[in-house]
Amino acid sequence: MLSNLWGQIIDLTIIAIILRVTVPILLSALGGLISDLAGVVNIGLEGLMLISAFTSIAVGSVTNSWLVGVLAGVAATVLISLAMGFFSLKMKVDIIIAGFAVNIFGSGFTIFMLNTVFGLTGNYNPEHLNKIPVIRIPFIDDIPLLGNLLSGHNLMVWISLLAVLFSFVLIYRTPYGVHLRSVGEAPDAARSLGIHVERIQYSALAWSGLFAGLAGAYFSMGLTSMFVKDMTAGTGFLGLAVVLFGNRNPIGVLLGSLLFGLANAITTLVETAPGAHIPSQFIKMIPYLVTVLALVIFAIRQKRKNLALS
Amino acid sequence: MKRKSSFLLDLLGIASAAIVAVLIGFIIILLVSDQPLQAMKSLLVDPISNAFNFGTVLNKATPLIFTGLALSVVFRAGVFSMGAEGQLYVGAFFGAWVATFIPGLPAAIHIPLILIFAMLGGALYGAIPGLLKAYYNANEIVSTLMLNFVATLSVSYLLNNVFKDPASGGYARMPYIQPSAKLGKFMEALPTHSGIFIAIAAAVIIYLFLYKTKGGYELRLVGENPLFAEYGGINTKKVIVLSVMISGALAGIGGVVEVIGLHGALKDQFSVGLGFDGIIIALLARNHPIGVIAAAFFYAYLQVGAQTMQMNSDVSRELAVIIQVLLVLLVSAQAIFAYLKQRVHRRKRGEANAL
Repeated sequence: MLSNLWGQIIDLTIIAIILRVTVPILLSALGGLISDLAGVVNIGLEGLMLISAFTSIAVGSVTNSWLVGVLAGVAATVLISLAMGFFSLKMKVDIIIAGFAVNIFGSGFTIFMLNTVFGLTGNYNPEHLNKIPVIRIPFIDDIPLLGNLLSGHNLMVWISLLAVLFSFVLIYRTPYGVHLRSVGEAPDAARSLGIHVERIQYSALAWSGLFAGLAGAYFSMGLTSMFVKDMTAGTGFLGLAVVLFGNRNPIGVLLGSLLFGLANAITTLVETAPGAHIPSQFIKMIPYLVTVLALVIFAIRQKRKNLALS
Repeated sequence: MKRKSSFLLDLLGIASAAIVAVLIGFIIILLVSDQPLQAMKSLLVDPISNAFNFGTVLNKATPLIFTGLALSVVFRAGVFSMGAEGQLYVGAFFGAWVATFIPGLPAAIHIPLILIFAMLGGALYGAIPGLLKAYYNANEIVSTLMLNFVATLSVSYLLNNVFKDPASGGYARMPYIQPSAKLGKFMEALPTHSGIFIAIAAAVIIYLFLYKTKGGYELRLVGENPLFAEYGGINTKKVIVLSVMISGALAGIGGVVEVIGLHGALKDQFSVGLGFDGIIIALLARNHPIGVIAAAFFYAYLQVGAQTMQMNSDVSRELAVIIQVLLVLLVSAQAIFAYLKQRVHRRKRGEANAL
């Protein structure tokens, strides 16, 4: 078992495995990050991803185009995020409650639609599906180690890495980013300077919807080729944890997601390895325990920082 | 006087929200169903059309009262715990252990002992996020969500590997509980177990605690204005930890009452989101313990209705989830309630001016 794991570390396939499982955590964490920075933390990521996972595969299989599918999934999640904004900003529903509502809605609505549209109960497994493509880079693909490192990743892997860069530039290098952060930190001060606080918060929720939408589409059309009810299995919550763990910045979020991806990859490797005697429940628990631990470390660090300031 | 009218307005608002949510549910039925009348009748009438269904409603309301109370208490203290689900599992495990492996006790001792152990389990598990929140200011939403996974997986491990009944075959559960641990039916005609009375008693006790004791006053004060509470000499950290522990204790009893009342053995994955349903119940009840009873009943009614609807028509029972979401959003929309209050206020003032 261990030699198998070792072999995968040596020939760098483990990188591919880690990236595969990191994508949805990373994308949802970026969505959580931008909404959190604007002071409207979106805890509905889990539900949004489910909605996109369902919508994208349903539309994708009917139109036989992964691109149309992904776009449909993203459109659905952006719309719902904006609706969240309406309920939270206009109707004054607490943003946490709105997110919670989106989570139960995502789970229930996708099962309802599965039943109403396809007459199915547990999962949707289309015969012909045009999945999100895997990018093989010619020439590099043939180089032994570099090939494993750079080639053969799903398109969404690259999109998620680019999304980190994009978020970084958006948050730290544009006027919009400055507005975003100021709205999150001191909404009244921002408003007094003429920043449209609500508009920024709507847009931040839309960004979180966009990223959650991409993550959801990847679940049903990249990672797998089916929709299973509640298939996101807590990834949205991990994403939220990564936001705190990553110190609320895109680079931290990337590192945090990779760490969680690593934990996840090891879980899969150990679980599928023949002759493993570690009960699966304990392995599955690792990411959650790591999160709680990270939360504590983060909180202690924050406390020290505050003490140092005062 | 003013408080009373505001209370009535709240009640009216919540009732209207429920009606609007159900009406939107009806519109969805009209859109998707070929037999809409049958579906609507099933949803609304069937839960109370016979003793069996009505008894099922009461059975379903029982754990919801407990988790609703659990969340009302923490929400009142200003702690946004989402950890009732995990606390419920840990409490159920502690209680079920006593119920299953301690033989030879009379029921009058056995059942209280089970409840005490379940409370302890839930409270201890609740203490973890409570301490993290109070002393390290660790985000309780994330910590409780993570601890839920840890709890359900741990209990699942224990049930699969350590305490599994050899006779249970494919799926994991503990051996059946001792006869002295069983909560029986209280009426021959109803399939309802007497856990509902424990639930109602718990609601009354929590009401008395919150509104008639110093501890309850402190808890509410910390939730409403933590700085003021701190300034007034209240140990807010202690209150926060205590609130999550009380919440965990309630969730724990809720879990074990399901085991000794309904299932007869601790089963893996027996709670499908009862802890999360509790959040909805607490929101509907505006965190009021007596309101929790009504909200839990309504919620259970809706669930049983959705089930009968799925059986008797072509509409999936997940329609109930959509109705619940609408209900949560409408009831939590402070803008609507503020607007209503303002209008009533204005109208009253207008009358006064006319005189």
